[in-house]
Amino acid sequence: MRFLVQPAPESLERARPPVRVFLAFSALLIVAAVASRAAHGALTPAGLEQILEPVPGERLGPVALWEEVHQGAFLYGFLLLALGSLLAVCPVSSGVRGGFLWVATAAAFLDLGAPFLPVALPGFPGWAALRIGAFLVATCALLAMAGLAWTTFGREERASGG
Amino acid sequence: MVAVVMGTAAVLFARKIGFDPGHIQAFYLGSEATFAPPRSLAGLLEVAVPHLLAIPMLLFVTLHLVAFVSGARRRPFAVAAAITFACAAVVILAGFAIRFAWPGLAPIKIAAFLGLEGTMLVWLGLLVAAITGSEAAPPRAAG
Repeated sequence: MRFLVQPAPESLERARPPVRVFLAFSALLIVAAVASRAAHGALTPAGLEQILEPVPGERLGPVALWEEVHQGAFLYGFLLLALGSLLAVCPVSSGVRGGFLWVATAAAFLDLGAPFLPVALPGFPGWAALRIGAFLVATCALLAMAGLAWTTFGREERASGG
Repeated sequence: MVAVVMGTAAVLFARKIGFDPGHIQAFYLGSEATFAPPRSLAGLLEVAVPHLLAIPMLLFVTLHLVAFVSGARRRPFAVAAAITFACAAVVILAGFAIRFAWPGLAPIKIAAFLGLEGTMLVWLGLLVAAITGSEAAPPRAAG
């Protein structure tokens, strides 16, 4: 792990192939997550509301919601840590890196927490749209981080403040 | 996010299984009272396999970060890390042992789960303390 994120130019040069393979798998994971949600109908507010309440008046159990948060937090956490760590040794300004990281993190927390809104506050309007928006923002930010790391990892020149 | 994962794990353990040996035995061996069938090998593996990847990776990354950013001494760090990994192994494998070997191992699963959650809380606390205090003092490797 230290080898992969060591700021020494020769180490970064050696680390570039495995890093790029990892980034390709990360992008594949993100795209697969979008496809999976789309296949389950979770990318439309109506579909998402139906998943949470399959039969009118019969909500999905809290265990299912907690399981989703459990798995989602692991995936988001792993991607944020890995991509954030790789960007830390890329010639990218700290503002850009921090911006992507904070946007992705905030959106990820919103995505994970939104399904609890109608449980905590019955009738809470717009939670489904909020969750879909947060998921798409998190997805785009993570893909952008992966793309940025792909193009800049291992470059010798470092931007000021990066 | 690690805190969320550990927190939701505790919630799921409490809601799905329960912090009581009787509930754990009923969860794995089935219960006539609740019409719950015993867990199959395939069902146990379905839960164990992803956790065999996720938990060691989570521990590896967390301990790696703690080792780099905190001033933990080598020996105590190694002992505490070994306890955490041992608890993780027992938590994952105890289900198989309870189901197929000896149901009396249920309290071990509870102890291991609490040990894992407790030690992870300590690691996260050390990490937060090291990061928030890193501006005052330069980081030192574990050993």
